[in-house]
Amino acid sequence: MMRRRILITGVGAVSGLGIGADHFWDRLKAGKSAIQSLDPPIEDTKIALGARIPDYNPDHFFSPEELSLLDRFSQLAVIAAREAISDAGLEDNGAVIESAAAIIGSGCGGKHTDEDTYDQLYRQQKSRLHPLTIPRGMPSAAACMVSMLLGIRGPSFAIASACASGSHAIIQGCMMIQAGMADVVLVGASDAPFTLGLLKSWDALRVATKDTCRPFCADRSGIVLGEGAGMLVLESERHAEHRGARVYGELAGFGMTSDATHITRPDSEGIARAIEKALENSGVEHEEVDYINAHGTATLTNDVAETAAIKQVFGDHANRLAVSSTKSMHGHALGASSALELIATILATQHGIIPPTANFTVADDLCDLDYVPNQSRSLEIHSALSNSFAFGGLNTVIAVRQYSC
Amino acid sequence: MSFDQVAEIIAKTAHCNAADIEPDTSLEALGIDSLKAITLLFELEEAFDIEIPNELIAQISTVQDILDRLDGVDS
Repeated sequence: MMRRRILITGVGAVSGLGIGADHFWDRLKAGKSAIQSLDPPIEDTKIALGARIPDYNPDHFFSPEELSLLDRFSQLAVIAAREAISDAGLEDNGAVIESAAAIIGSGCGGKHTDEDTYDQLYRQQKSRLHPLTIPRGMPSAAACMVSMLLGIRGPSFAIASACASGSHAIIQGCMMIQAGMADVVLVGASDAPFTLGLLKSWDALRVATKDTCRPFCADRSGIVLGEGAGMLVLESERHAEHRGARVYGELAGFGMTSDATHITRPDSEGIARAIEKALENSGVEHEEVDYINAHGTATLTNDVAETAAIKQVFGDHANRLAVSSTKSMHGHALGASSALELIATILATQHGIIPPTANFTVADDLCDLDYVPNQSRSLEIHSALSNSFAFGGLNTVIAVRQYSC
Repeated sequence: MSFDQVAEIIAKTAHCNAADIEPDTSLEALGIDSLKAITLLFELEEAFDIEIPNELIAQISTVQDILDRLDGVDS
């Protein structure tokens, strides 16, 4: 039996680049970075940079009653989910929404709720806590609220794999369509990591830069955190064709591996295996890959390992394809990054424009590919990959291609 | 614990207008489900610095019940 083709028919993006996929794409292709000083700063932390959502007011999106149940990461998930469903032309199609699935990843879950709670308990010495602490803060809260507020009544659950949570959620949705369990899935991830406890914890890992995010550069010095949510509507080809859906492109396949080596240090072998599996699973030939949206965190170890893996898999073709890290613009929004980056990848493919690696200075000696420095580039993209790797060596690669019937 | 104080707290929890609340208004009519009822008890405990025992919950169905049952509950 032929495998069901999966099409991307809707996108929603909330990030430091703004609210809405249009803002996201306009700023990515213009090479505009959302990274800036945290204003107001978060007390008692050395991390002073971030890519926060500009001018975000939850009251513009939710009623007080809805907000009582929504941690910030759930708010962002619901905003992006509503956009993706609307973008797919499904907002008035109750029957389709009702039977859809919602698989929502998160790297850190409801930290705003959790940390507020711990602050009250440990610092303010309060003896009673708010009754909604658990339902707001649980890692599956975003999946719950997306299901409830959009009326999605198929399978809904959360996926957690740190910075690959969005990719793993997207791949899970693909597998559900391929298994015939759903025709339409809403997939993605959300993270809101600007809390004191998380910033202090990231600072303790000594991977956050005081400069800015400069992926693949000789003077790179680490990550800049971001916040946001990326959501996609995936649809079986048959279902999309039947209703005449607008198609961004085909989600052609995916690869997943685990390094099984180190909790934080990436392994190029594990990454290479994930890329190979994505090519094999999608049927995309090596030479058909014109663009790779890199994991590209700008840590010393990731960028070298990722570059080595791309060279190992693609050989000479590695020098002909373009690689860029959009984290240089939307920051590292943990699990949400992987979903936002697949949106960047499919929009790049659709428009034939490769978003650059912003903040680029001089390439590292061990990072010698074409990283599309600072300026976007027009290029027909037949197929593209989106790489996302997580702590624990959990690697995901998703392949997309231009859609033709 | 006055009626007006309790009505304000209920209005905040039920996201309704305090002026629409009467002593014999049932919590159910205000859309207060089990989860909102627990939230309401939390807000009452916070406002009046009292501890409401779980056993009292089943005895509360109207605004007047709150005044009758909770006034005098130990802090």
